[in-house]
Amino acid sequence: MSGLTLKGLRKAYGAAQVIKGVDLEILPEEFVVFVGPSGCGKSTLLRMIAGLESISGGDLFIGGRRVNDVDASQRGIAMVFQSYALYPHMTVRENMGFALKFAGASKTEITAKVDAAAAILGLGALMDRKPRDLSGGQRQRVAIGRAIVREPQVFLFDEPLSNLDAELRVHMRIEIARLHQDLKATIIYVTHDQIEAMTLADKIVVLREGRVEQTGSPLKLYDDPDNIFVAGFIGSPKMNFLSARVQGGRLVLPELADQSLPLPALQQALPEGAQVTLGLRPDVFKRGGSASLSLTIEIVEQLGGETFAYARVGGSAQIMTIAVEDGRALRPGQALVASFDPARALLFDTDGQRLR
Amino acid sequence: MSNAESRRGNLAGWAFIAPAMVLLGLFMVYPIFWSLWMSFQTGKGLNFKFGGLANIIRLTKDPVFQHALSNTMIFLVVQVPVMIVMALLFAVALNNPALKGRAILRTAIFLPCVTSLVAYSVLFKSMFAVDGVVNHTLMALHVISAPIGWMVEPFWAKVLIILAITWRWTGYNMVFYLAALQNIDPSMYEAARIDGVPAWARFTRITIPMLRPVILFTTVLSTIGTLQLFDEVNTITASAGNGGMPADSTLTLSLYIYNLLFKFVPNYGYAATVSWLIVLIVAVLSWIQFQVAKER
Ligand SMILES: Nc1ncnc2c1ncn2[C@@H]1O[C@H](COP(=O)(O)OP(=O)(O)OP(=O)(O)O)[C@@H](O)[C@H]1O
Ligand SMILES: [Mg+2]
Repeated sequence: MSGLTLKGLRKAYGAAQVIKGVDLEILPEEFVVFVGPSGCGKSTLLRMIAGLESISGGDLFIGGRRVNDVDASQRGIAMVFQSYALYPHMTVRENMGFALKFAGASKTEITAKVDAAAAILGLGALMDRKPRDLSGGQRQRVAIGRAIVREPQVFLFDEPLSNLDAELRVHMRIEIARLHQDLKATIIYVTHDQIEAMTLADKIVVLREGRVEQTGSPLKLYDDPDNIFVAGFIGSPKMNFLSARVQGGRLVLPELADQSLPLPALQQALPEGAQVTLGLRPDVFKRGGSASLSLTIEIVEQLGGETFAYARVGGSAQIMTIAVEDGRALRPGQALVASFDPARALLFDTDGQRLR
Repeated sequence: MSNAESRRGNLAGWAFIAPAMVLLGLFMVYPIFWSLWMSFQTGKGLNFKFGGLANIIRLTKDPVFQHALSNTMIFLVVQVPVMIVMALLFAVALNNPALKGRAILRTAIFLPCVTSLVAYSVLFKSMFAVDGVVNHTLMALHVISAPIGWMVEPFWAKVLIILAITWRWTGYNMVFYLAALQNIDPSMYEAARIDGVPAWARFTRITIPMLRPVILFTTVLSTIGTLQLFDEVNTITASAGNGGMPADSTLTLSLYIYNLLFKFVPNYGYAATVSWLIVLIVAVLSWIQFQVAKER
């Protein structure tokens, strides 16, 4: 399997810059997930790798070979589309074998490869059906099968599960993870879905307006984000952000009636009066700790296993999301003392960059 | 609603559609059956009598009819495939987002079918006259050395008619294909590109099968249209008020029916027989086309 190298990759549609210089190293057999808000350029970047969009600047290497000007069919990649893109007039077998015909494979070879892929994906009984007679999950499996038979170096997925219902999505997610283990393939996967990104990725690439904000393992991005954007984007429910002021070795929170907490330990010293943003994930409140905030509960969400309380102070606009251990007794209007370990609080400067 | 009320509602409904029904019945259904009955009558003008199969026997012995039939079939066999293929190629080309000026080209190719028949006939007649602009251009380009007698020589007259109806109807068919093409998921072509399916195979193995229902529809429609071909052969290749010139080389079945009724001493019965023959040919050809296009 091949790795990929992206060097200063750019894409412009006329005057509109869409991808503004992406540098990225993808290792062989790595599962890389592109996430980011809608319109940030995830699909565009994937399509540039696929060869469906021309590259306006920079270099793209697949398996050490520069492929900027190599035709899509010669890049050793296969792509699975959100809409499945199956050929409606062909049976499952024909869909999966179609590409091989043009690669000069013999009939017996095609049959063998298609049958092998069908076995991996559990499609054996559906081979003579047309796509319209399949469920969404089955169609997606055929689309994946069509990619597998070509034995590509790199698999590209563009939001492959977003047309499926929630249950099927979980099921297919697990299948894709298994497939990655079985095929030992390099996979680049685009998704909106937090959970898909966190569970599938070896490496997450967070994109924003055509730039890479941060790259790293899912837990690295969750625990140690480089900036407010990544901190807010990764993790569900979202991280709480509070504006804060450094005062007398403590952090004072004007949005929460000037409550304060001990200043978390940092490598750098913050000057007295410095304005910062404090980031607290909802689940830091689960384990308790030496710092605490006094709040009034506004709404309680019971998910069965977990409870989330939405709470604020007085009439302030700032609502905090708080995960509560054993929160079944909580009611709106109650007072809540949310305690946490200040070492788990993250600080960001006024530009949104992380203070470490 | 009570029974009486619903009956009153029904009556009102029938009353509303009655005028249309009466008119349809009077001017469509009744003439259709009347013409079927007429096709078994022989005689001139209003002086006719039941003749059994006499008209059908006459068809087999009528050289003018056979000439018209073979002309019509030549038009059909040459013109419909040429036009369908051209319309398909235009549609695929104009569906390519990389092409500049798509909207203008699309309109330009579609416009002929909404152009006035008389205006375009007059223009064609003048353009294809022996000393017309077409001959001049072809000679200037050294494609031909002597002017072509477009409206004088039987062979070239047929070519001219085929050119004219192809010019008039290609854009009309193209619009159907364009609409169908716009419903095809573009990622299907992208998947094929990535999978190394060459462009010709994307056209023949994906586009054509996807358009199969529309191709069938336009083929049936064009077949019917060409079998009823009348306008052009009665204007462009007409001289001294007689269509189908020169020497009946562009005489079609429809024009022959017209001649039987309005040029010669009217023979309603025989004209009806020829009309019903067209119906029969349309039915048979459409059936064959449906069989060919049926999904296997
Ligand atoms: N052909 C085009 N011409 C101009 N701009 C384009 C074109 N295609 C995409 N864009 C722009 O490029 C940006 C990135 O689009 P892209 O489809 O890559 O976003 P995305 O991250 O995949 O979004 P989503 O999550 O909604 O799928 C968008 O702002 C879009 O408007
Ligand atoms: Mg996208």
